[in-house]
Amino acid sequence: MNKKKIDSATIISAVIVLALYAAVFIAEQLIPATSMLFTVIKKGATYALVAVSMNLLNGFTGIFSLGQAGFMLIGAYVYGIFTIPVASRMDVYQYYNGGLVQFTLPVFAAMLLAGLAAAFFAFLIGLPVLRLKSDYLAIATLGFAEIIRALFQWDKLGPVTNGSNMLRLFPSFNDFNIKNADGTVAVYFSTLVPMLIAGVCIGVIILLINSTFGRALRAMKDDEIAAEAMGIRLASHKRLAFCISSFFAGVGGAMLAMYQTTVQAKSFTTAMTYEILLIVVIGGIGSVTGSCLSSFLFVAASEWWLRFLDQKQMIGDFEVPLLRNGFRLVVFSIIIMIVVLFFRQGIMGTKELPDLIRGLQGKNKGGADK
Amino acid sequence: MSDNVLHIEHLTMRFGGVVAVNDLSMDINRGEIVALIGPNGAGKTTAFNMVTGVYTPTEGHISLMGQEITGRRPDEITKLGIARTFQNIRLFSSMTVFENVLTARHLRRTSNFLTATFRLNAAEEKKMRQETEALLKEVGLYELKDEMATSLPYGKQRLLEIARALSTQPKVLLLDEPAAGMNPQETEELGAFIKQIKDQFDLTVFLIEHHMNLVMGISDRIYVIDFGKQIAQGTPAEVQNDPAVIAAYLGVDEDESGLPVGDPRASAQAAPPEARGPQNAETRGAKGVQ
Repeated sequence: MNKKKIDSATIISAVIVLALYAAVFIAEQLIPATSMLFTVIKKGATYALVAVSMNLLNGFTGIFSLGQAGFMLIGAYVYGIFTIPVASRMDVYQYYNGGLVQFTLPVFAAMLLAGLAAAFFAFLIGLPVLRLKSDYLAIATLGFAEIIRALFQWDKLGPVTNGSNMLRLFPSFNDFNIKNADGTVAVYFSTLVPMLIAGVCIGVIILLINSTFGRALRAMKDDEIAAEAMGIRLASHKRLAFCISSFFAGVGGAMLAMYQTTVQAKSFTTAMTYEILLIVVIGGIGSVTGSCLSSFLFVAASEWWLRFLDQKQMIGDFEVPLLRNGFRLVVFSIIIMIVVLFFRQGIMGTKELPDLIRGLQGKNKGGADK
Repeated sequence: MSDNVLHIEHLTMRFGGVVAVNDLSMDINRGEIVALIGPNGAGKTTAFNMVTGVYTPTEGHISLMGQEITGRRPDEITKLGIARTFQNIRLFSSMTVFENVLTARHLRRTSNFLTATFRLNAAEEKKMRQETEALLKEVGLYELKDEMATSLPYGKQRLLEIARALSTQPKVLLLDEPAAGMNPQETEELGAFIKQIKDQFDLTVFLIEHHMNLVMGISDRIYVIDFGKQIAQGTPAEVQNDPAVIAAYLGVDEDESGLPVGDPRASAQAAPPEARGPQNAETRGAKGVQ
């Protein structure tokens, strides 16, 4: 009885997610590609993946890491470096004589490599950093992200990283569209594919969380001493979570590179990590669904819905006061404060989509009994 | 000595100038229930923490079935077959009863994170779940398996701590004040339960307890320590009539106690006075000893 209910809730959740993907695909064919909707979905999917990867650490393992922007940077650069077409390298690496790397990897292989590179850096940094606890760990990872940012702008590494100049001309999301011979687009995939990449990665994270390893991580978050007494080796499980989280942050970085169509180290600031942290907190620390939802809401609000606040608005002859460039950010901050004040646990708390459906099913049952 | 399970030899633990455990030696044989008792602050939990690897002893050795385990990590020691419960309950608070017990099976896995993530270990996972269900049935928590662990009544939470420890498949079970906060009837049931699981799971039990009725009722042998030092050992009857034990529990005037006046006493006097007050457990304990 109980088991059946769990299954139906999970199936309904899967159907909802699939319906969303179908809706995105259909919308993409019907609505002009320049619509803000697609910008929001592309960036939202990217941020959702990074937010979920951060949640894996902060919400499920109890490691408070602030290195996400650093791992995204590694991912973005690795992706860019290995996918710029050989013919374009002379243009991009104009100050470094075409650069050192003179071959090109397929897009998905480069994304995988981006993740692996980030995970490798995480492994190295984890050796000293994971011995620290809570705030000290946060500060150390934050420092790492800053070091990485400086390192990638270092002139001596220019033949690989292009120094402080941007990487560009690598394949972006638009290259997923299927084109006719005359160059017009036959089928749009530029929004669906990032959704799919993020979806598959988040799916893998969910599988991990619900595996025996995920339980061990949650046990460590609840009580390290008890977890260790139950035979869970803290050091190796923390390292595992840190590397996996960084792997997906690296893939997220590659997606961000595709979204932006250019990569420059100086844009991967601490502010980016804070944006991700904000998304995780607003969505609910310990809820994958929450991270995904709040990521799209966050991106939509900051890039789209509040844009009108930055321009003069006239209602009839009346000019609305206060509206000028930058006012959007004031309103945005107030909204975030309100959300945090009234949803202490974030939008979802630690609940997931199937939990919500189960809650609804329970309510309906209660109603039917009356 | 083939049936010796846990061998503790000249164990000493110093924290700065304080000697928490001083030259403690014990031998626990297979199938025994052995209790370690003593007034508050006597060093019982410190001794437990050394056996389970939380502390590395300053001096001395611990071996499990002939294998040296001194200074090993707690998770390694658990894997070798020593499981424990905690004096102040430490359940996994975000998990259900079932998940708490299931998580303790993690250490017996053969899968790695990739095979586990992609469900290539489905057979093992299924077996883990079945074994967990069976264990919950045996300890009588099956009906509560989907409750959150922290929402259980206190006595059941203690029971769950024991079930979780059993799930690691131990050879030796260490119980740190399992009856703390229980009423007399619950305590009696707990005693019967400990005996039952000892036979059922072929365990050796080593416990710390203040409830003297429980200790005297189920223990095969008892070690008594005070100020980190062993002051008596033997069967319950022997220990109850030992003058040093009675002195330690009733708090006889120091001049008449017959105990050597030296380092251990001086160091323990640095401990807060209420730790030695003849209240709560002590009072009950003293009655039991008499």
